[in-house]
Amino acid sequence: MRRGRWTKRILAVYFLLFLLFLYGPMIVMAALSFQGPRGAVTFPMRGLSLHWWDQLVSGPRADSIRETAIRSLELSAVAGVVVAILALTLSMGYRRRFRADGLLFYLVMLALMTPGILLSLGTAFFWRFMDERTGLWETALGTNVVWGLPFGFLIMVAVWNRYDDTVEEASRDLGAGSLRTFREVTLPLVWTGLLGAFLFGFTLAWNEYDRTALLAAGENTLPLEIFALTVGSVIRPDLYALGTATTAVSLLAVGLFLVVAAIVLRRRARLLRSRQDFAEAATEIPQPEPAGVRASPAR
Amino acid sequence: MSSPSDREGARNVGGLRTEDIEQAEQMLAERAQETAALGERAAPGVRGRRALVTAAWTAPGAVWLLFFLLAPVLMIVLVSFWTRTVSGFESVWTLENYEFLFQSNVYWNQLWDSFWHSLVIVAAALVLGFPVAYFLAISVTSLRMQIALFIVALAPFWTSYLIRAVAWIPMMGRQGALNTALEDLGLISEPLDILLFSDFAVTVAMLQLYILFMVAPLFFMLAQIDRSSLEAARDLGANSFKTFREVILPQAMPGVVIGSIFVFILTMGEFATVRIIGGGQVASVGTIVQTQVASVQFPQAAASAVFLVVAMFLGVLVLLRFSNLREEL
Repeated sequence: MRRGRWTKRILAVYFLLFLLFLYGPMIVMAALSFQGPRGAVTFPMRGLSLHWWDQLVSGPRADSIRETAIRSLELSAVAGVVVAILALTLSMGYRRRFRADGLLFYLVMLALMTPGILLSLGTAFFWRFMDERTGLWETALGTNVVWGLPFGFLIMVAVWNRYDDTVEEASRDLGAGSLRTFREVTLPLVWTGLLGAFLFGFTLAWNEYDRTALLAAGENTLPLEIFALTVGSVIRPDLYALGTATTAVSLLAVGLFLVVAAIVLRRRARLLRSRQDFAEAATEIPQPEPAGVRASPAR
Repeated sequence: MSSPSDREGARNVGGLRTEDIEQAEQMLAERAQETAALGERAAPGVRGRRALVTAAWTAPGAVWLLFFLLAPVLMIVLVSFWTRTVSGFESVWTLENYEFLFQSNVYWNQLWDSFWHSLVIVAAALVLGFPVAYFLAISVTSLRMQIALFIVALAPFWTSYLIRAVAWIPMMGRQGALNTALEDLGLISEPLDILLFSDFAVTVAMLQLYILFMVAPLFFMLAQIDRSSLEAARDLGANSFKTFREVILPQAMPGVVIGSIFVFILTMGEFATVRIIGGGQVASVGTIVQTQVASVQFPQAAASAVFLVVAMFLGVLVLLRFSNLREEL
């Protein structure tokens, strides 16, 4: 198939160009963050230094950057945990059909589809209407979780689809209570899915601007700080250093998850293989009964 | 023709008489009725408990969504019909906000621009993203390779769109990397002005930000195509174009629609990228809402937001006409 091979080659080149389009600007930004002290925000590079990275930790904006980074980290971690918990409980409900399942599903999808700026605006109105003050933990956490929840929910639904319900029955038949079954049988089987849900909750909140913008009430998160630095003042290469650093945090989280997932999958595959080996070995043991007679009725 | 005795003989199976069989059948029917009645009596209790358990599982998520999604969205609709005060709004009904927007040519132009802009980005994402998804799903044959490349292509999803917008700044502008590169290659003699603070710049940046939302659904749909069906099409004499139109495209259609809806909605509501790349020169509905909020025009901002949602809804309805998602998924 000569033509097939050529198509594949052309597509491969196209794919590389696509990656260049995706990653190119970020790589350029990362490179420019190592500008010399007198360097500008565009090429050419004027020397090579850590000056702008140093500005992040000891420059005049260092304090507010550190403060917002820590606040963002806390908010994203909590958002990740809440997303994982809510995705688990919600998807547990969906293991059985119930009356409002279609309606609730649409609500979850609405969470995916509602623009962040609307969520921010509406929540600000709602809180004002109730005469409550908006704040990072009271409201921004809520809207950020709404953003991560559909992703976590879909992951967990996929997990339950491939989940074998009979192990829970077996556990109950062996005398374990619901709580013990949940803790010792269910959770160990689905925790990678939960970790995935956490990852979505964490990274989406870590990077979110729109859903926090009108709610933070003075307590800026890192994306808000970055936006202020970009739009509100003259851009300097230290913004690129900050951008590179936050991207590194996101990619580190994803990388860590992939490593954990790979280890779990490999271990599970090995377990499966050893179980198969065991089963094969068992069949090779000569049977004491005469041929044709079975000890237990065949199913 | 069979005589009655023959029929009797036919039912006289295994030494059982017809009467015995009939009696057994009747008994079975009675049992079945009893069991059914028993089940019905037990059912409300069991069903009730199950419903309670399901309600307990779904309640936390549902309450969260009611509080932070449904209530805010309804609140926007309410406020859009309320009156503006110096510090915000009060619940006095009015149509003033909508009247103002209906009479504002600036607003209509920007809403239309936003709508049109999003459609252009959707089309571009589809055309540019399809080969990527096709390559990943069909050209790459090893599963391991497929997963690895898919992760590489999708990883930017987990990075900040704000940062990715910022990353376009050194690329664009008169002295930006793109202009410099084009000049060095001798393709242009003067730096292009369209490369920053322009519609074009915003389109390119948004395309890079949101094309992943097109590639991912396309990939998932294309990956479900049985490769042998492609071979079969070829063996039956279909050329590449025909194979594409009659085998691949129908399979990919739900992915096309889902991806288009995603890209359309995300770019319609987009605000930060427009502000960063457009530098205040380019407006979208998102930036209008933000400006109205900044000047404490809350009810007007709400009305703009309602228009935005209506526009989105219309766009989604148009996109849904291309595929019956409910049937195909």
